[in-house]
Amino acid sequence: MSTDDESFHPLGDEWEDELETMLDDTEYDSDLGMEMAQDAMRVTKGELSEAEFHERHHEAVMEEFGEDERPTKEAYEAAQEEASGTVSNMLGAFDGDGDETRRETMKKMGVGAAAVGLGAFGTASDGPEESLAAGDGPRQETTEESPTDTQWGMTIDLERCDGCLTCMTACTQENSLDDGVNWMYVMAWEDENNDSPEGGNGLSESGAYTDFNMGSEFNMLVRPCQHCTDAPCEKVCPTTARHTRDKDGLVLTDYDVCIGCRYCQVACPYGVNYFQWDEPSTDYSDLDESHTMGDYEYGERWVDSRAPRGVMSKCTMCPSRQDGTQGEEKVGTSACEDACPPGAIQFGNVNDEKSDPYQHREHPTKSRAVVHLTNSIESSKSAPSPDDIDSALSEGDDVETAIEKIDGLSDNSSFTEDQLAIMKAIDILSEGLEPGDEENNSILRNEQNILASVEAIQQYVDLESDEALEALQLGDGSEQEAKFRLHQYTGKPSSFQLLEDIGTNPNVTYLGQEPGPEAQQVDGPTSPEDVGLVDERQEVLDNETVGGVDGVSL
Amino acid sequence: MSTKEPTEADILRPINTLTTKYFALYGAAALGLVAFLIAWAYQLQQGLIVTGLGDWGSGGGSTWGLYIGAFIWWVGVAHGGIILSAAVRLLGMDRYMPVARLAEMTTIGGLSAAGFYILVHMGRPDRMVTSVIGHYHITVNNSPLVWDVTVITAYFVLSATYLGLTLRYDVNRLRDDLPDMFEPVYKIMTIGYTEKEDQVIQRMVWWLAAAVIIMAPLLLHGGVIPWLFALLPAMPGWTGAIQGPMFLSIALMSAISGIMIISYAFRRAYDWDHIITDDIFRGLLLWLGFFTLLFLWFQLQTIINGVFLGPTNKAIAIEAKIGHPVYQVAMTMIFGTLVYIFLQGIRPALFNKKRALIASGIILTGTLTEKILFVVEGFLHPTFDIYANTPGTYFPSAIEWLSLVGTVGLVALLFLNLSKLVPVVELHAIEHLRGDHEHSEEATEPEVEA
Repeated sequence: MSTDDESFHPLGDEWEDELETMLDDTEYDSDLGMEMAQDAMRVTKGELSEAEFHERHHEAVMEEFGEDERPTKEAYEAAQEEASGTVSNMLGAFDGDGDETRRETMKKMGVGAAAVGLGAFGTASDGPEESLAAGDGPRQETTEESPTDTQWGMTIDLERCDGCLTCMTACTQENSLDDGVNWMYVMAWEDENNDSPEGGNGLSESGAYTDFNMGSEFNMLVRPCQHCTDAPCEKVCPTTARHTRDKDGLVLTDYDVCIGCRYCQVACPYGVNYFQWDEPSTDYSDLDESHTMGDYEYGERWVDSRAPRGVMSKCTMCPSRQDGTQGEEKVGTSACEDACPPGAIQFGNVNDEKSDPYQHREHPTKSRAVVHLTNSIESSKSAPSPDDIDSALSEGDDVETAIEKIDGLSDNSSFTEDQLAIMKAIDILSEGLEPGDEENNSILRNEQNILASVEAIQQYVDLESDEALEALQLGDGSEQEAKFRLHQYTGKPSSFQLLEDIGTNPNVTYLGQEPGPEAQQVDGPTSPEDVGLVDERQEVLDNETVGGVDGVSL
Repeated sequence: MSTKEPTEADILRPINTLTTKYFALYGAAALGLVAFLIAWAYQLQQGLIVTGLGDWGSGGGSTWGLYIGAFIWWVGVAHGGIILSAAVRLLGMDRYMPVARLAEMTTIGGLSAAGFYILVHMGRPDRMVTSVIGHYHITVNNSPLVWDVTVITAYFVLSATYLGLTLRYDVNRLRDDLPDMFEPVYKIMTIGYTEKEDQVIQRMVWWLAAAVIIMAPLLLHGGVIPWLFALLPAMPGWTGAIQGPMFLSIALMSAISGIMIISYAFRRAYDWDHIITDDIFRGLLLWLGFFTLLFLWFQLQTIINGVFLGPTNKAIAIEAKIGHPVYQVAMTMIFGTLVYIFLQGIRPALFNKKRALIASGIILTGTLTEKILFVVEGFLHPTFDIYANTPGTYFPSAIEWLSLVGTVGLVALLFLNLSKLVPVVELHAIEHLRGDHEHSEEATEPEVEA
């Protein structure tokens, strides 16, 4: 949405003008009305306290109406009494709970603003900045979302996923989800063209972890919410509870507004929604408050963690992390991404070229190699650090000796020609883009580390020499050859988005094999029961069905 | 046909009699409703987990079920009712005048039951006002569920107005024979009445009827209700332009059947053989046959479109549909009824009212079954059909079944109450049957003797 529209009201200039005309038709002062409405909006945003708002217009209102019975009166009087305290103390004084107050205030101000002819809607619409004067000009066309806007999303490497289900357990833990509420769902599948081996035998027996591995022999699909740009669930919602946050494109459910009609679940083509059919097993008091609220233009809404009874829930992509309430270091991460051992899930701002999902999507081969060489679980394949290199190598080493020396550094890890070749190939292909500091750009950061290691090695060994390039199978050392070398090692994945033809514009991109229209889920390498998860929620729900008939179904 | 002359006393009989049978029926209906209210209270206390519903997808359940199926079925009965009544007034089908008011009351009853289902279906019905009305100006632009609530409200108002206006004429003329107990109600109903308004009311009712007939295919069961499903791209069991006509045909089938059953009950209880005549039943049965034929034709269109080189998702969904025993049973019932209606059209001797009653019962059961199955079908074979737990399982729980008893009880109570308050057959209809109606200039459908 555009910021050119300089109206203070979320519904924009035109709406504002209309309301001003309506005010003009009354016997009362329109300017006062508009001024108050503007300030009321500021209160909903938390820029102005209720008491300040009341005080600011108190005299004018008394003069115009002869009384001042706005809903903020209480706050104003409380403030008068406790003139010594800070604003937050004052608010706390009449409500008891400072955190609740801001949400309460929002509601009251909605009424307050409506009283002067403008509804201050608690919607997630754009809330551009104040100036009323600008409202005189013609209405500016709102422009399409610019590509630099934040849009959280993921790139998921399905060939890297080994079906360990760690992401599912991490998500369940992070959000205190009930049994069978699998916001993140990982499945193995097969169709006419793609077989999966017999599953359920655990990773070791199923043939997972073959060298670079890319997970296993299984075709995997990792299914979080797609956080669609054109989300059907949001379109059909009769309440605006299901909404897209302007600031970062997350599609969320306002647990305080949802009426539990379940139309979102019906409209979602991916089946990512899970309704809270009964009282959740984790009590509200056991939830971390920083994990239940999301930051909004107009206050706070409860959008994160498990849903309360009777409302809809789904994968949120961890808005409280993105809002920084769980610490700056968690901005730009999700619980599933953090937990994923092979780094198959790359979360971040999909519009930012420095972000992990962007890098992984646009440079899949190189990013795969970077992830592979710097991933903690694959320490046997990791790139050596510059310090280790310095300690191991000496002037005049040739490629072979250098590899041997580095290999000898540790008993646990090996270092081969392949690894060095991949490191050098990354060096050749790198655009030298620096990681940004506002979010977690792990791929670029790790790429920098690899480049530093290559740099360190090159202090001792000339990797650009013909012999070295030949030994590393990098041909003439051109980008073309480097790419080819990486393809040999990590594969050259195709990318896709799920059900692209439905027009939802999902913000999750997949690398790997797309399941065909007749693909069917099969047993994967790890069964959900093995890691304490419930796969089929209906089994749990059926226990509480009153007078259900077992084994009979429509 | 009876040769008895219909009189005012005939249509006043329900109001001025009180029988044990009435009390028994009233008790049964109230019991049904109260039983469900208790069940609903339990559902509110425990959450929707008491139903057989679940999450489609990895959850292996069905998101919507009997509640929504019965909801659209009741809306269908209601919409069909008002369309019938409007057709009687607009097209001058005077033959059906004796059942026009019953049709209007059916609409009020059906809409009440449907509205009740909306609440019963929700996880947080307490937020209806704050969440839905509070954001109405935004959601009305895109949420089919909001359109739905809007048209249902609009039609409730329209039908109630319609009924209220036509009642003024009757109540004013029959006032002396109506019980004094309800005096205040009659006063309010006939407030400001003068005989001069009769002409005006006639016109207003005509225009209301015109509005109903025009808006029926656009906004009622030919529009907004099917759009709840037909507009969703990822459920091939629902998607498609055929759903508009399909829903409309089902609505009319259900409404005609419902009205036949209600008419039969009143005729039997109050000896109205000469008012709700055999001829009316014959006529209604033919109309029922006509709409049943349309319905089966639409079903055929849907099936052929899916199974003959349909795209994968559509083909799977349709093949599953025609292979479903519940679907086969429902269609056989409906087709069998059509065959009977056709045969009795050729050989009038095959007609009797009991058979018409049975035909109505079968059609109502068939349409309700089809509706519930239709709702569940969407979740059974979605486009994204990869989940091992899809198709999931769903069978209505005891509480869900009880909701049918409860809403039937609700509608029955409405009729039982209304029949003690106002005439359920219009005075106009009696006047028309006696041949002393004033508006003889209107065109009438020729009465065909079967």
